[in-house]
Amino acid sequence: MSLLAYAARRLLWTVPLLVGVLLATYALLRGSGGSPFRPPEGYIGVPETYERLLRRHYHLDEPWLVEFAYWLENVFTLEFGPSLVLRELDVAAIVRDSLPVTLELVALSAAWAVPAGIALGVWGATSRSRLADLLATATATLLLVVPVFFVAFALRQYAFADWGLVPLGWDGWRSKVLPVLALGLPPVGYVARLIRVAMAEALQEDYVRTAVAMGLRRWRIVWVHALRNALAPVVAAGIPMVALLVTGAFFVERAFAVPGVSAFFVEAARTRDYPIVMNLTAALAVVVLAANLVSDVLLALVDPRVRDQVGREGS
Amino acid sequence: MKAASADPPVAPPARRRQTLVALARRPAAVGAAAVLLALVAFVVLFPLVSAHDPNDVDFAKTRQGPSLEHPLGTDQFGRDLLARVAVGGRTTLAIAVAALTIILALGFVWGATAALAGGWVDSLLMRVVDGLFAIPRLPIAIVLLVVLSFRAQSVAAIVAALSIAGWMLTARLVRGHVLSLKTRDFVVAARATGATRRRIVRRHILPNSSGVLLVAALLELPTVVVGEALLSVLGLGPPPPTATWGNIAYDGWQFARLWEMLVATVAIVLFAGAANVLADAVGDVLDPRRRGTRTLGAGRLSQ
Repeated sequence: MSLLAYAARRLLWTVPLLVGVLLATYALLRGSGGSPFRPPEGYIGVPETYERLLRRHYHLDEPWLVEFAYWLENVFTLEFGPSLVLRELDVAAIVRDSLPVTLELVALSAAWAVPAGIALGVWGATSRSRLADLLATATATLLLVVPVFFVAFALRQYAFADWGLVPLGWDGWRSKVLPVLALGLPPVGYVARLIRVAMAEALQEDYVRTAVAMGLRRWRIVWVHALRNALAPVVAAGIPMVALLVTGAFFVERAFAVPGVSAFFVEAARTRDYPIVMNLTAALAVVVLAANLVSDVLLALVDPRVRDQVGREGS
Repeated sequence: MKAASADPPVAPPARRRQTLVALARRPAAVGAAAVLLALVAFVVLFPLVSAHDPNDVDFAKTRQGPSLEHPLGTDQFGRDLLARVAVGGRTTLAIAVAALTIILALGFVWGATAALAGGWVDSLLMRVVDGLFAIPRLPIAIVLLVVLSFRAQSVAAIVAALSIAGWMLTARLVRGHVLSLKTRDFVVAARATGATRRRIVRRHILPNSSGVLLVAALLELPTVVVGEALLSVLGLGPPPPTATWGNIAYDGWQFARLWEMLVATVAIVLFAGAANVLADAVGDVLDPRRRGTRTLGAGRLSQ
């Protein structure tokens, strides 16, 4: 199968998945009994006239499947409509303003975390002293297992509250340093652990012995020949990486008052503001599935054997 | 049809002992098991002997550091942190055990059904698993939790949210295991003698799946313990004054106290880390070919 055909096939799988996710979210929210117009304690509802308008706009009095169909149509025409609870906000505006912030945060974090993780992992696998290897592995494991909320909170406590080094928010590079640092730490550990194992294995291969026998320089063997093969598991781990970053973003954004999607998501889920939850879910699902698609295609690029396995095994 | 099918080698005790002996030779596994046991013992026993009630408020002694009277200090309401960590651990571990039970049941049924049915049923069921795998668990759990909390009590809602968001790995492991069992002589013989599918599952598949279920349970244990903490730190945990490890961390966050957060985090990391090390060791012992792929398991901790 050619790479293009493989990518197309993966893309086709993504569409039913996306619709499935949206339908499931919708059914869950609508089927569970709560109502945005009867909010939980502590939240102010909307006046009745406005409620009537909203009900008509979202076809809330129709069967939920009809409502879902209308909503799906709105998504594909990018007409997200008003929020049910936060009257002054348009859902499209929330998605437009907050999603790029989250994406930027995630992208910047991955951009430094992946190379750093590779460096740490290669160092552990290639160092000749056991102590260095142990140190690298221990660092990586520690980075991975310490929960992201603790890292984010500790960084904020010291750097912002105690020492006043940086501003909160997401405005200018100074405010971005700490969130990007905090969000990147667990992925560094994750990538480093993957690379260490894969690299140690790659260095045992015959072609490495051949390269050594032929007198190639050590750094060239490690960084060019062995690393190329050790990268496959990292690329394959794209999906857990995305999960790690998205999960972390919820806490990092909260700690550093970054105006991303997570606060809206949690708050809207609590007040049952369907339009916000649904559209943010849609936006997140698109981003996550796109990232998965990219990682799948990259993996097929690095490891051509993967292309032929599609559909045979549950990946 | 009641044909007598060949009796299965139901995990002969000799093999189980072998597994234990192999585990006992691994210092990491022994250490991890000791840490887990110590934490469970502390959580279960300490509240019985503690001098302080975990919910006793004392405004004269708020936000204290460690002292003889309060070994871990007190929180913003003057409650004894050591007692709260113990009692909170009870709630957290109860949530974890309940969620694990559902995860194992759901994962076993799903995975075994896929493997035994084969064909398009298998494809369809595994596509669903692949699809759910692609989505981060936390957002799924948040939506589920919020939806469920309108109907159920909050601890039950958390259990349901964690387990519905987390059964996929178990299903995949069970499916692979059952696929290999399916071709074994005793299953083939049972089928040849006309045993019903139900009998085959009860008599042959389930008793021979204890190993894979144990590995799945140990792999998911850290995820549900960390999952409880993640949800609680977002403010979606059981309502105060209920202590859980996640809620103690949330208190630390809300009242800007690193110490309190550190205490909860250490408990969580110790427990989750030990479970993970043990999961790796058990997996290696049960399936030596698996060695080397273990890093994939550890990465799932924070998802």
